[in-house]
Amino acid sequence: MSCPYSRRQWLTRTAAAVSGAYLTRGFPGLAAEAPASTVAVARCRTYSNNELLPVMEKLFDQLGGLGRLVKGKTVAVKINLTGAPTYRVGYLPLEDTHYTHPQVIAAAAHLMGKAGARRIRILESPWSTADPVEEYILRANWEPRDILGAAPNVEFENTNFLGSGKRYSRMKVPHGGYVWPAFDLNHSYEDCDVFVSIAKMKEHATAGITLSMKNCFGITPCTVYGTGAGEDEPTLIPKGGRGLIHSGYRGPSKSAPQELDPKSPREDTWRVPRTVADLISARPIHLAIIDGIKTMTGGEGPWIREVTTGVAPGVLVAGTNPVNTDAVGMAVMGFDPMAVRGTPPFERCDSTLQLAEAVGVGTRDLKRIEVAGTPIAEARFDFAAMRRKRRSAPPPAMGIRG
Amino acid sequence: MRWPAAWKGVPGAELLDGTAIEAIDPTAPGPDVTIAKGVWPGVRMSRRGADADAGPTGVAWVDSNTWLARLTAVRHPGTVWIDAPPDANRAPRPHQYLVTMADAAAGGARWLISLDDALAAGVARREPRALAAWKQIGAASRFFAEHPNWATWAPEAVVGVISDFAGGNEFMGQELLNLLDRAGQHFRILLKNRLTAGSLTGLRALLYADQEPPPADLRKQVLAFVESGGVLITVPAWGETPGKPAGAAAVPGYSGRVLGKGRVIVANAAPDDPYVLANDSVVLVSHRYDLVRCWNSGAVSSYFTIAPDRARAAVQLLFYADRGPDAASVRVVGRWRKAAISTIEDPAPRPVKLEPQKDAVEVYLPQVSQYVALQLEG
Repeated sequence: MSCPYSRRQWLTRTAAAVSGAYLTRGFPGLAAEAPASTVAVARCRTYSNNELLPVMEKLFDQLGGLGRLVKGKTVAVKINLTGAPTYRVGYLPLEDTHYTHPQVIAAAAHLMGKAGARRIRILESPWSTADPVEEYILRANWEPRDILGAAPNVEFENTNFLGSGKRYSRMKVPHGGYVWPAFDLNHSYEDCDVFVSIAKMKEHATAGITLSMKNCFGITPCTVYGTGAGEDEPTLIPKGGRGLIHSGYRGPSKSAPQELDPKSPREDTWRVPRTVADLISARPIHLAIIDGIKTMTGGEGPWIREVTTGVAPGVLVAGTNPVNTDAVGMAVMGFDPMAVRGTPPFERCDSTLQLAEAVGVGTRDLKRIEVAGTPIAEARFDFAAMRRKRRSAPPPAMGIRG
Repeated sequence: MRWPAAWKGVPGAELLDGTAIEAIDPTAPGPDVTIAKGVWPGVRMSRRGADADAGPTGVAWVDSNTWLARLTAVRHPGTVWIDAPPDANRAPRPHQYLVTMADAAAGGARWLISLDDALAAGVARREPRALAAWKQIGAASRFFAEHPNWATWAPEAVVGVISDFAGGNEFMGQELLNLLDRAGQHFRILLKNRLTAGSLTGLRALLYADQEPPPADLRKQVLAFVESGGVLITVPAWGETPGKPAGAAAVPGYSGRVLGKGRVIVANAAPDDPYVLANDSVVLVSHRYDLVRCWNSGAVSSYFTIAPDRARAAVQLLFYADRGPDAASVRVVGRWRKAAISTIEDPAPRPVKLEPQKDAVEVYLPQVSQYVALQLEG
C-alpha cells in the first residue's frame, strides 16, 4: 500500500482538519480541584490463579479494601471485548492481546463476591450482535462458566441493545457535556450501585490510548448510536459499529439526546475523546482496573494498520478514580499523562485524560497521585519507546488478515 | 466439463491428459447423475464492483453450492454435478475456478467445468497464462478425484434440518441450509418423509421450519428425541407442544418448553427471514457445541467428515476472499493426535502444529490459498 503523504504531512493535515476555533477553545477550569486518590500498581507475570488472586487482593487492599466498595451492593463490571471474537493478533488468543483476560474478570468477581457483593453483573456490548455475552465469548474460545462460577450471583448482560430492560436509561452528563448532554444506555448502567471498568492496557488508533475510561466508549448501545441505529427509534438489534459517534455523519436515534452542537468538528480524533469524557461523567467509574499482564502494542486490535505485537508487560493497575488510574497506567506505558494533542500518544487526537480532568473528574498530575505497591519506574513497560521505533521504520506491507 | 465452443477441433486427449476431467453431455448425463443448477460461488461483490455485499450484520455475503450439492445427494443418491457457469460479463480470475471446484467437491459433488470465453480461447491459442490457469483446474480435478473419502465419510453435525425442501418450504428450507453453512453450523439434512430410526443419532438439536405441521409419526419421533435430551427449534406451524413452560430463551422472539430431558423452542411468530432463523438457531443450540471454530479466516466454510472407524477425519476449509488467510487457526472438536494439511497446490500431506485443548484441538495453519484440507488422526 502506498500513501501519498509523509507522516508529518498527514499529521499536519489531520490537525488542520479540526476547526481552529474548536482547538483553541479552552478547557473548563476544574483541573486544579480535580480529585486525587491512591492508585495501586503490581507486577503479575501470569494469569495463573496462584499468582493472580493474591496480587489482585493486595491491590484492592491498597485501595482500602473491596468490602467498603461492594459489600451488599449490585456491582456492574464493564469488560473489554473489542472487535469480533474470530479476529486475533496472529495466532495469539484474544485475551492475550486485546480482550480483558477472563482470569482477571473471574478473579475480580471472586474477590468481589468474597467482599460481600450482592450481585455481580458482567457487561459488554459485543460487536454488532444481540447475542448473549456467554455465546460471544464461547466463540473466543472462553468458558463462560469460569466467570459465572467465580462467585455467587454472577451474570452477564449484552448492553449493545435494550437487553433485559424495559426502556433505555437516560444518563445525564453533569458538567453539561462536551458533545452530548446525556446518553440513552442499557438499564444495567443505571441499575447498579457500583460501576467497575476492567480495561486492557493498550494504545488506540483514534484516542491514543485505551485504558479504564476509553473502555467505556462501548457502553453506548449500537441500537441507538450504531451505524445501523434507527432514525427515530432504536432498532431491536444492533448493527455495525459506532461510526456515527466517530464521524458524526448522522445523529443517534431521535428518541435519544442529540449532540449539543451539530457544527462541532466531525473528526473522530476530536469527538471520541470528548464522548468518552462525557460518558464517564454520566456513568461514573468507582473502580478502575487495567489488565496489563499480557496485551498488544500498536493499537487496540488486530485490525489496526500498524505493526501489532503481543507483549507481556506483567502489570496490573487499579484505582478508585479513573483519571488517576489511567494517568498511572499511561506512565507505566512510558507515556507522559500530561501529554496534550500533538505529543505521543496523542499525536493527532485530544487527551481523554486532559478532557476528563478539566471537568473535574480526576487529576492526571502524577505529583498529586499517591502510587501504592510497585513504583511506576519498576513496573514500566515502554510502549512509548516501541511506538517511536515502530513509527520511525517504513510502514509494513499489509497483508490480509482473514 | 462443458466443452467450450472455442475448442472446436482442439484434441481433447491433449488437454485432458493427466486430469480427472470427464466430458459429459449435460443434456443426457446418465442414469446415476444429477445435475443441479447452482450459483457462481464466492464473496458477492456490490454493483460498483469495489466492495463486498454484506449480510444484515455486516458479514460478507457468500454464494456457495455446497449445501445444494449435499441436498441433491440426499434427494438423488449417485453422482451430483453442479452447473454454475461464470458470469458471461465478468471473467473469473484463476483462483475463482479453484474455489468453485472446491466448493462443489466439499459437498461431495463435481463442478461442471465451464470456462469463460476468454480463458477457453486463450487455452485454444496455447497462451501461457491461460494454459497455466487450465493446468491448475486440471490439478484441482485430480486432487479431488484422489480424495473421494473426504466427501463420502459421514458429515459430523450438531443440528438436523428436517423439511421436504420443496413447494412452499423450498425457500425457507434451502436458504436455512445455505445460511447455516455461513453461520458455521454443521448440519445433517433430513428429508421428512425418509427419517429412519438412526437418522437423529448423534444430533444435539433439530430444526423444523416447514409451513405445515409434521406428520404424526415424525412428530412422535422428534418428541422422543427431545425427551431423551435433544432440542427442537421450530415455528408456530409445528402445532401444540407438550411439556412445561421454561424461562426466556437465550434469543428474544422465542419461547421455550421443557419436555423430559430436553427442550422445545418455538419462534413466537412465523419467521420470514431464513438468515435470522439460521443465526438464532446457532445461538439457541449454543456455540458451546461448535464442532469447528476458525480465527482470522475471513469468509469461511468448513466441512467436517469422519471415517467409519472414527480414527480419521477431514475438515475441508474454504476461504472465499481473494487471498487465503494468514495466521489462521482452527479448533476442531475431538481428541486428535496428529494433523496434516493438503492443498491443491501442494497435495502431499504436510504435518502442522496441533495444540490439545479440552475435548478439542487447535491447529495453526501456515499461509494457504483459498482451500485447505485438514486431515486428523486419533
